[in-house]
Formats: sequence, structure tokens, C-alpha cells
Amino acid sequence: MNDSTAIRVRGLTKTYKRTEALRGLDFDIPSGKVTGFLGPNGAGKTTTFKALLGLTSPSEGDITILGHEVPKQLNSVTKKVGAIVEEPGLIRAHSGRVNLQIAADTLGFGHERIDSMLEFVGLANDARRKADEYSKGMRQRLALAAALLGEPELLLLDEPLDGLDPAGQHAFRARLTALAEAGTTVVVSSHDLADIEALADYVVVIDKGRLISQGPLEEMLDGGSIRVVIENPEAAIQILLAAGFDAKADNGSVVVEAEDGSEIVESLAREGMFPSEVRPERTTLESVFLGITGEEEG
Amino acid sequence: MSLLHAEYLKISRRKLFPVMALILLFLVVISAFVLIAFGQIAPELAEDVPVLEKPDAYVIGAQQVASQTWFPIILAVVMLGGELASTVWATSLTRDSRRLAHILSRLTTFTIASWLAFVLGTGLWAAIAFVAAPGSGAPELIEWLGLLWRLAAVVVAWTSLGLGAVAMLRSVGPAIGAALALAFGEGILGFWGPYENVSLTAATNGLFGDVLPGGMGAFIQGADLSTAHALAIIVGWSLLGLGLTYWGLQRRDA
Repeated sequence: MNDSTAIRVRGLTKTYKRTEALRGLDFDIPSGKVTGFLGPNGAGKTTTFKALLGLTSPSEGDITILGHEVPKQLNSVTKKVGAIVEEPGLIRAHSGRVNLQIAADTLGFGHERIDSMLEFVGLANDARRKADEYSKGMRQRLALAAALLGEPELLLLDEPLDGLDPAGQHAFRARLTALAEAGTTVVVSSHDLADIEALADYVVVIDKGRLISQGPLEEMLDGGSIRVVIENPEAAIQILLAAGFDAKADNGSVVVEAEDGSEIVESLAREGMFPSEVRPERTTLESVFLGITGEEEG
Repeated sequence: MSLLHAEYLKISRRKLFPVMALILLFLVVISAFVLIAFGQIAPELAEDVPVLEKPDAYVIGAQQVASQTWFPIILAVVMLGGELASTVWATSLTRDSRRLAHILSRLTTFTIASWLAFVLGTGLWAAIAFVAAPGSGAPELIEWLGLLWRLAAVVVAWTSLGLGAVAMLRSVGPAIGAALALAFGEGILGFWGPYENVSLTAATNGLFGDVLPGGMGAFIQGADLSTAHALAIIVGWSLLGLGLTYWGLQRRDA
């Protein structure tokens, strides 16, 4: 494992009585990026998070977090990892600030970052209000502040945007992006693919306890084809087919199976045709996800 | 100190403690009425129910309150069980290298809370006894202090067992059931001579001595145990509870 890998998982297996939640799962999470951890319901996302946090013991397999083997060297990484998994565990009868004091005391951190974290999550003006009076988004932000108290190098967030309104989601995403830009490795599980597409640099997709795909988001969304907008698409297709490209008409333009647009432009230019636009054809994460997990839309 | 402060903050705003304390005080009033006032108000209906007299009535009150073992059990189970239901706290409890400090801070906080409730209950009983019990006299200050530490010793053991039950079972309902079943079952077993020597219920009674009137103490398990013997039993059960708590929290898949 090199310094650019925050989490390395190999052959992770977890069996609950007769149910195999994880079946030899392998994946890597790069450091200092936002990674989307995707999978359909029951794919094993929460079990994986619990195994990473040392809350469940793997039946088999190796986990290395920030260079330490887990669960063997759990004590060495505990304070470097912040997490929100399932219920954030706020005490609703107390104010936001007291909740952070309790979290700091319980988790063994000082109180010196409480004010800055309240500021960071936008709750400085509501710090004296009871958590019971907070909206779901505010409670989620308070939970994020608690997870950040120890200045973690790695942040594991299970469905953090669930139930937030669009404005709340946008603000939350902006905070996570800011954390990643400051060097924190952020891993976000979500079933909302648009959230991940708007947020992640890297994506890991699992299904039925196994890795389905992983890689940079840009590569995943790269459809492996080029869209050419040109005045006479039919003529352009003939030229490109003759040049050995796989090209077809699509919505008044031409889609060419190719990684690089320069050879396409060169072939067309030789025949005196000049496209008005040449761009990589992008797909959506939803299409990619449905394709690789084999799930059908609708 | 920070862990104790956190535990204090956690328990201080919860309705659990005041509600349980009110139930305890209600039960104290009921039992004080039966054992002090009922025989005086309606002797023909009371038949064999004794009327407690001063100064023993005060000590019996403390013993009656100490027998309310559900209080420390339920307080410990609900407080720790609530934490284990949340991953944030479960994480700190099961992964943190300060696990023993976490456990001891909770044992200390919940013991003090239950002890305060027991002291309040004993005070209420004493007030009722002062007003309604026949006879005269009251325990010396040193005897009152003796009752206070005895209450604390009893509470430590039952709190510890409550923590152990919920750490092992990781679920509030089953843990309350298991701990109360233990309290009930081992109380019954305490009537059996050989087990009486290790029974926590017997030790609880033994700490307060044979104070019931009319030789009724003979019918209470452990009433004749020496204080040292009773304390040894209480320490043993407390350590068992702590051991179960530590081991239970160490298991990650409960």
C-alpha cells in the first residue's frame, strides 16, 4: 500500500450465520479525495463501513487503513477516523454546543475545535439551541461537526445526504469538497447516484458483497466515444467509416467509437469537412451503475 | 474527569432518572404505609403485618429501599444500551483503547445517580417513620453514615450487573429482562443454604442485619451474614459485572 491509498481491502468476507454479507470484497480508496461508495440495497455497504470502523469482525480478509491493519492495529487509527454511520447519536435534550462537548469528552478530544467546527458546519448561530429543535439537515451537520472534532484524516459517511432538502444537500456537498481539498479522505455511501456524481472524484461500486467496479469518476462517465457536430452527418459518417472508425448518426450529429477526437477531425478535414463541435460523449453515473450491476430501470 | 463530565451531561437532561426516581418514591410510600401506618390505622385488617417502631423503622427503611434492585439495573441498562444503539458511541466504547475508563466512568455516574435516588427514598421513608412510627429514638449520625455506604455498596453491584447484561446482549429489552430475572432468580436461590453464601440478594440483606421485628429476619435470606462476608459477595458480583461489561464491549459482533 502506498501513501496515496487511504484504505486497502482484500478478500473481505463477512458471514452472519447463514447470510454472506460480504464475499471476498476487494477495493482501494485513494487519499485526499471524495470517494463514492455505491451499491444497491443489501449490497454490503453498511457492513463494509462497520468492518472498516472495527464495529464488526471480518470472517476473512485484510483491511489496511492509513497504513495500519484493522482490527489488529485499531487503536492506532481510531482517532484518525471520523464517521457517521446510521443514527448519529445526538442527545436531543442538549444544545448543539453541549452535544459537541459530550462528543469531545467521550471520544477523548479537547474542546478547542468546537467553535471552529460549529462555524464550519454553519451552526455557530444555533449552537445554543437544543438539538431537538434542529431540522434533519442541521442535525446531520452537527453530526458532521462531531465527526470532525478530532481532525480526522479519513471520514466515513453512510448516507449523509439522505433526507436533506436540495439546498441542504448542496451545502453539505460543498463542505465535504472543502474537506477533501484540505487533504481529508472522504468516503460517502449513498444510493442517490446524482449526489455521488456531483461530489465524488472516485467511485467504488459493490453488489452482493463483491466489487463490481472502481475507478476515477471521470473515467467511469467517459462513454468511450466522441460526439461530432457537423453540417452533413451522413457524409461525415461515410468518410469516417472509410477511415476505419465505427461511426453512427445520433440526434443530428455523429457518434464515433474512439478515445481521441484529433484523428477524427484530421480524417474529416482531409475531405474538406470541418465539425463545429467535437466532444467526448459522457454517460451518467446512473447508466453506468445500472449497466454494471445488471439492474433494470423502472 | 472529562469522561465523568460527559456522562453527567448525558444523564442530567434525560427524563429517565426523574421518572424512575418518582416511581421509586411511590413504592417507598406504599411500603412505608403498609409497614408503618396500616397496622395502626386498621389493626383488624393488618392481622400479622408488623408495625415497625422507632428506631429500627429507620434502618428497615434503608433496607427496603436497597431491595429495589430494579432501579440501578434499569438505569444502567437503558443508559448504556442507548449508547450502544448509536454507532458514534458504540464506536468509542468498543474501539477506544480507554475502554476501561469508559466503563468505570459509566459505573461511577450511574452508581452515584442510583445512590442519590436511594438516599432520597431512604430520606422519604425516614420522614414517614418520624411522623407515623410508634416508639422513640433514632440512629446516631454514625449509623446514618453506615446506611449511606451500605446503600452505595449495593448499588455498585447491581449497576455493574446491569452494565454487564446490556454489554453482552447489546439490546435494552432483553438486557433488562435478563438482569431482573437474575435478581429474582438468585434471590429465590438465596433461600438455599449453600447458595446463600454467594447470593447478592442475601448480601444486600446481610449488610443491614437482622432488623425486622418479631424474629422475621430469620425468613430473609442472608440476614445473618457478617458485614465482611456480605461485602466480599458484593465485591465479587461487582467484578463479575465489570468483567462481563469489558468482555461484552470487546466483542464486535454482538
